[in-house]
Amino acid sequence: MRLDRSLAQGQLAQAMGVSRQTINSIENDRYTPSLPLAMALARYFGVTVEEMFDDQA
Amino acid sequence: MIRHSPAFTRSKWFLPLFSVSMGAVLLAASWLGGQPLAGLASLGVMTAFGLVFLLGGRSETIRGLRGDGRDERFAQIDLKATAFTGLVLLVALIVAWVVQIAQGHDGNPYGLLLALSGITYLASVVILRWRG
Repeated sequence: MRLDRSLAQGQLAQAMGVSRQTINSIENDRYTPSLPLAMALARYFGVTVEEMFDDQA
Repeated sequence: MIRHSPAFTRSKWFLPLFSVSMGAVLLAASWLGGQPLAGLASLGVMTAFGLVFLLGGRSETIRGLRGDGRDERFAQIDLKATAFTGLVLLVALIVAWVVQIAQGHDGNPYGLLLALSGITYLASVVILRWRG
């Protein structure tokens, strides 16, 4: 989703107010974001939280 | 950005200044105790520690510990690290307490520190449960 928009991890991190390493950890399933961050990410990409994080959605 | 710590601790100056302040306190205490050289050494070590944090560059670990690079993931890391540190300290206290008792002493100050730990833990659980 991030790569579809040609966004660097650092750019997304800056938009979300977190570190680049946090975005990297979320993408690699090493960290589960809080609900507010998950909602902010979903809102940023214009999708639902389920579409953003649930592989089954 | 969701904040996870007070504003003043998010400044990159907080931890370096805190380190130097602790060094100054150690210097004063050592001076009062008649060991000014040990105090100066402590101040030097704490100042060096502060400088590492102030000039630590872009390292996520340094920025997270310093406060200005702290986000929700680092807050979780900090919480887990604090819990693990507490666990190690408790084990060390229990071992020291038991050894002291086995040697015929009254177990203090380890027993008092363990009591303080237990009371603090129970009070924290009650207060945090009240706060939801």
